[in-house]
Amino acid sequence: MLSVQAAALAADASRPRIELKVRPRVCTLSDEDTTCNTTVRAQWRSSRNESLCLLIVDRPQVRQCWENHQQGVYSVEISFSEDLVVELRDAELDRVLASQAVAVIRRALQLRHRRRPPWNIF
Amino acid sequence: MTRILRKTLPLLALLAAVGAVQPAAAQAPCKAPSPDCIAVGDLEVSVSLGYGTRTNPVAGRDDIPLFVVPHVSYYGKRFFLESLEPGVTLYESDAHTFNLIASPGFDRVFFNRKDLQNVIVPLAAEAPPGFADVNVQAAEFPVGRRHTTYLAGPEWMFRQDNFIGQVSALYEVTGRHKGHEVRAAVSVPLIQRKQSLVVNTGLTWKSAETVNYYYGVPGLYKPDGALSPFIKLNYALPLSDRWTFTAFVHYEYLDGSIVDSPIVSDREVVTAFAGLNFKVL
Repeated sequence: MLSVQAAALAADASRPRIELKVRPRVCTLSDEDTTCNTTVRAQWRSSRNESLCLLIVDRPQVRQCWENHQQGVYSVEISFSEDLVVELRDAELDRVLASQAVAVIRRALQLRHRRRPPWNIF
Repeated sequence: MTRILRKTLPLLALLAAVGAVQPAAAQAPCKAPSPDCIAVGDLEVSVSLGYGTRTNPVAGRDDIPLFVVPHVSYYGKRFFLESLEPGVTLYESDAHTFNLIASPGFDRVFFNRKDLQNVIVPLAAEAPPGFADVNVQAAEFPVGRRHTTYLAGPEWMFRQDNFIGQVSALYEVTGRHKGHEVRAAVSVPLIQRKQSLVVNTGLTWKSAETVNYYYGVPGLYKPDGALSPFIKLNYALPLSDRWTFTAFVHYEYLDGSIVDSPIVSDREVVTAFAGLNFKVL
């Protein structure tokens, strides 16, 4: 059992680091907006050929796979209202190789009482 | 002055009572943008186009027409600007607000047509610049130039249900007369649905220095302090997101120490305006 885990760790350690960049990094919602409607662009790069798939968590319709590639780019127009998590998984979709998120920031609407000096015209 | 107090205090008490029986609402915290709640950081710019007039109690001076009334307001976390009045909020809760404000001296509007408080009056005939001789009862008194003054001081606003009160104690800080002014007012909405009708009433007390700067005549008339009550009705009917029909009438009953000045010919000042307000920002 220990030897199996050690072998898996060794395999992970030997696996080259896969760099994943996602743009935009954040989406800021104004007071009136409830969802971000934007094109998300994901770019990955590795030091050796990889077979992997790019997915977006909770969006099963989004999947782009590469067979024996060192890099890849994928763009998708998407609407989201919560943080959007983009993942690179191995070809079997079992293991997450890299992950990045597009954060949704809601502008906190801070309100305060307005002065209405009756001495003024309005 | 006591006669004015006798007339005014019951009115204030009546409005306070009216405010007290209004359904509870306005003391609730600001949870959504509304005419009384503004988003921090927002700049609002609007302009009203219409027709109005402000009567001029100074003898020999024309009434002041109003055609275009611009309005700017900005509220930061502490700093705010409401038209010509900047200020800093020291403390704010749902019921009380304490500000430090700066506010222009209002009386200059009667002496200088170009005063910003007279807004834009492009079609009006200009009053003669500098000195103008006023002929009152066969005597001539020079009505000299009154400079723009600013007063500054603390302001307390309090809210109880729909009733809003405010009191400010101001000191002239631009070095023209070094007078004081105390302003107190209450505001009660009579209608507050899609359209709104709000009544404001209050008192303005001006120290002898302030009154003398505007209405004194050297060697002839040195007035005391003045306590002048006013009432204002404000009506607004939103027509769309940007357009609102708006109208108001403001009536001020001047204290005897102002009216007794030889350069003053009217006891009342009425400002009225009706037009369309366009929200630019």
